[in-house]
Amino acid sequence: MGITCEEVWRDISDYVDDELDQKQRAVLEEHFAKCRHCAAVLEGTCNVIRLYRDERVLAPPKGFHDRLHARLNQKLNQGPDERIHPSRRAVLAWALAAAAAVPLGFALFSAKRFILPGLEHQSPTGSPGSPAVKGLVAVSLDANNKIFHIPNCPYLHNKLKFLSVEEAIRQGYSPCPICIGKRKLEKKG
Amino acid sequence: MTDNTESNARNDRIRATEENLIGRILDGEKDLFLELIRPYQRTVYATLITMLRSKEDAEDVTQDVLLKALARLHQFRREAAFGTWLIQIAINETRMRKRKMRHGTMFSLTSAADDDGAYVPKDFADWREIPSEALERLETREALAKALALLEEHYRLAFILRDVNELSITETANVLGITRGAVKTRLRRARLMLRDILSPGLQQGGQVGLAFKEVRNPWE
Repeated sequence: MGITCEEVWRDISDYVDDELDQKQRAVLEEHFAKCRHCAAVLEGTCNVIRLYRDERVLAPPKGFHDRLHARLNQKLNQGPDERIHPSRRAVLAWALAAAAAVPLGFALFSAKRFILPGLEHQSPTGSPGSPAVKGLVAVSLDANNKIFHIPNCPYLHNKLKFLSVEEAIRQGYSPCPICIGKRKLEKKG
Repeated sequence: MTDNTESNARNDRIRATEENLIGRILDGEKDLFLELIRPYQRTVYATLITMLRSKEDAEDVTQDVLLKALARLHQFRREAAFGTWLIQIAINETRMRKRKMRHGTMFSLTSAADDDGAYVPKDFADWREIPSEALERLETREALAKALALLEEHYRLAFILRDVNELSITETANVLGITRGAVKTRLRRARLMLRDILSPGLQQGGQVGLAFKEVRNPWE
């Protein structure tokens, strides 16, 4: 049984989302095979989704990751917050300590920011002394190629292992042209 | 309804990795938080910039949201995916800010009327694929941002949650507090409208189509 173009447009989005039952799918596919217009609408819809999914689109501005990580690191380095009810004297002691820590913290924070700006993960070259989390790259354990990726690369799949760039290179992995190549391009641009 | 099984398997893997990370962060390995949020930095920012429309505001709120997520990580209930939980915080936070800033019109997710009427794609059969390589050009990226900004907010949000944050339809419905049916209606509209706006030969608004040179970033 045939289906009109209007009916196809109504269902096209659900088709893309795989929200139709098998029978409806088959009817739509039969229509796409015959109707050039609807096939173009489908193609365009998929293209739109693919484009917006790309991480270059609506991407954060330059310096975003540095600023974010600086703020998070500051928070993370505050240590565990203990929520026991402190006595008055303890409150006073803490207040004094805190007052002393502010300039110190600020000094550390600025030092980190200005002296070691390369620690951020955007530069996957990493540095030997950086904490474990930074400069990590990911590899797919069951992939048959030896390529390392930035951990959120869409070309990563299956079982992941995280390791440092140095380690990855030592083990014979080479950088993913998609995620790492792209970052390089972005930096140039 | 059936989501496709391949992406389900992928989501299960991501979820397992994230739950492991969250457990370790809560056990004291706080540095791993950066690892946990890495895949979401852009999607949270992308969502917020479509709601706030200024790069500075979007960046500020993104930072606040991620810090909030860190502080509340112990409240994370594992029945939701981490990404869904995070974007929920982001949206709530933004709604609150907008209310405080008294942006002319009140921000509303539910009262927005859904245009349930059929949307007729423009008669434009020779859709020319926009290749991913075109995204290397700033003007292409700006045209995409501008096209999205032309949609009404309820369409924009459904689209950004489902197609940029890659939430499922059910998760999108939960985050927005609307039905799955409403999500599907909004998605249909949003996707078809974006396709029309971006059609190279179609002069919607006279300036957005990718064939045009002069495209300005609406958020600047």
